[in-house]
Amino acid sequence: MPLTDNKGLVKRLSCEISAAWAIAKKDMRIYYFKPNIIVSGIFFPLFMFLAFAIGKNTPPGALIPGLISITLLFSASSIEPVSIPIERRVKTFERLLSAPISLYSLVSGESMSGFLYSLGIACLPLAVGIFIFDTPIMSIPVLIISMVLTAFCFATLGTLFAAYPTENVGEVMSMLNTVRLPLIFISGVFIPISTMPRIGQQIALMSPLTYGNDMIEYAYTGKSLFSPLLDILALVIFILIFQVTANYLYKKFNE
Amino acid sequence: MKAIEVSHLIKEFGPLTALNDISFSVSEGETFGFLGPNGAGKTTTIRILTGVSRPTSGTATIFGHDIERDTIAARQSMGIVSENSNVYDDLTAWQNMIFSAELYQVGRKEREKKTNELLKKFELYERRNDKAHGFSKGMKRRLTLAMGLVNSPRLLFLDEPTSGLDVQSNLIIRDVVADLVKEHVTVFLTTHNIEEANIMCDRVAIINKGNIVAIDAPESLKKTIQSVQSIEISFDYNSADQLEELSRLSMVNEAQKAGDKFKLYTEDPSEVINAVMAYAHAHNLKILSITTLGPSLEDVFIKLTGLQRTGEKIHAID
Repeated sequence: MPLTDNKGLVKRLSCEISAAWAIAKKDMRIYYFKPNIIVSGIFFPLFMFLAFAIGKNTPPGALIPGLISITLLFSASSIEPVSIPIERRVKTFERLLSAPISLYSLVSGESMSGFLYSLGIACLPLAVGIFIFDTPIMSIPVLIISMVLTAFCFATLGTLFAAYPTENVGEVMSMLNTVRLPLIFISGVFIPISTMPRIGQQIALMSPLTYGNDMIEYAYTGKSLFSPLLDILALVIFILIFQVTANYLYKKFNE
Repeated sequence: MKAIEVSHLIKEFGPLTALNDISFSVSEGETFGFLGPNGAGKTTTIRILTGVSRPTSGTATIFGHDIERDTIAARQSMGIVSENSNVYDDLTAWQNMIFSAELYQVGRKEREKKTNELLKKFELYERRNDKAHGFSKGMKRRLTLAMGLVNSPRLLFLDEPTSGLDVQSNLIIRDVVADLVKEHVTVFLTTHNIEEANIMCDRVAIINKGNIVAIDAPESLKKTIQSVQSIEISFDYNSADQLEELSRLSMVNEAQKAGDKFKLYTEDPSEVINAVMAYAHAHNLKILSITTLGPSLEDVFIKLTGLQRTGEKIHAID
């Protein structure tokens, strides 16, 4: 490839990243840095987790990996399905659709804000594990990689569901919850996958939370169902599928 | 090179044909008006020209860039001011401007310089640190227009720029558009305000039911319907009965009352003037003013789109 083509490509890529970052900053300013959003981001997964974990004969520190997984799932995928229908209603979404950027940048920018928000929120159960329960972490690099990939995967899932062409937040949230709530029961967060019936184990393989939770579990205990490399590969494949599908749907629904 | 070149554009939504094989071009530096009743195809055309929607068939280029295949390059030279004042209410005027500049990849120094300049031009600089949700309708409209200009576009899409605005905002926006024309910026304007199109546009296209029914300079379009002339008359005494009596005068096709004046449409103004003089004499009325008017752009619009007047309102007949 000639040098000028490379320079053009690098410039284009840098423009796309800047635009995606601009969208992420805008979303964080408008939707994420609000006390009620931050508080609900922390309390919703916490209470849901306590509802299922209390009464079990498990030491509290051992619950931290599952709590981090659920926090990442709910906080990363919650805001875009709210903000995008609202932006459709007030016509600001049209501004993004007509900007000189690719749909991939739009989808990535929208997902990036959910990703950063959920990482921030997930630091709380992480800190509780470290400072209150003294939960040991076997591999910090694996924990960082698992949290980053899981957060980005679910942020992209939220952006994907928000592609549904409606101005009604409730419509998107009900569709998303139909998928999101069953995920926490089939992905090994509350019930170990190895103890599930065969059909349950097969369904678990189709859930991105299975791989995220498995890798987080490995980072804490050194034990997992799959190797961390397989978990990484599965999460990357889910991210790509969600990203490509979201890109396709945003394009299709705007024609 | 043409700023916009549209060739045989068709857009179908299922069985509905929103655009039926339309073709037109807009030269660089031209102010082009796009008029049509609701549902005529104006918004669909803009959505295709800005790359938001794809045509069923046909092509559209912006400064030579195909909007479907070279979308990003085509969009880089345009500014878009949509009908809705689509600013972010939870961001300040400054943040809205900077966000828009970032989306259009305006460099850091340039974006701050341009933001300062535009906020001052649109008289929003003093409120730059206030969130937009506290702004009036006119201020939001001005901010929307400022955001559309932050990337110094060569082509500006202006959708209903002054609809329902206060006088101050209206004047500021018209002044800015006049300045853009001096700077050789191409303006693609859609408006319901036909007088606005008459004043601002070099050429107008009239679209109806997905077809372009006329495209020419406003004055040339008016010449095509010289048969629609009118007499505007004011008496020293007005009553409700006069409208019906005047509408029955010889050669009067239609009569309207607007404030203290009557407007009588005719193909023969001199005959109607004689009839009005006789009517005033017979009813012991004093004529305060009488004016002969040529066809307005609104008359052209109504004739070509098949709309009809009822009183002072315009109704679709289809």
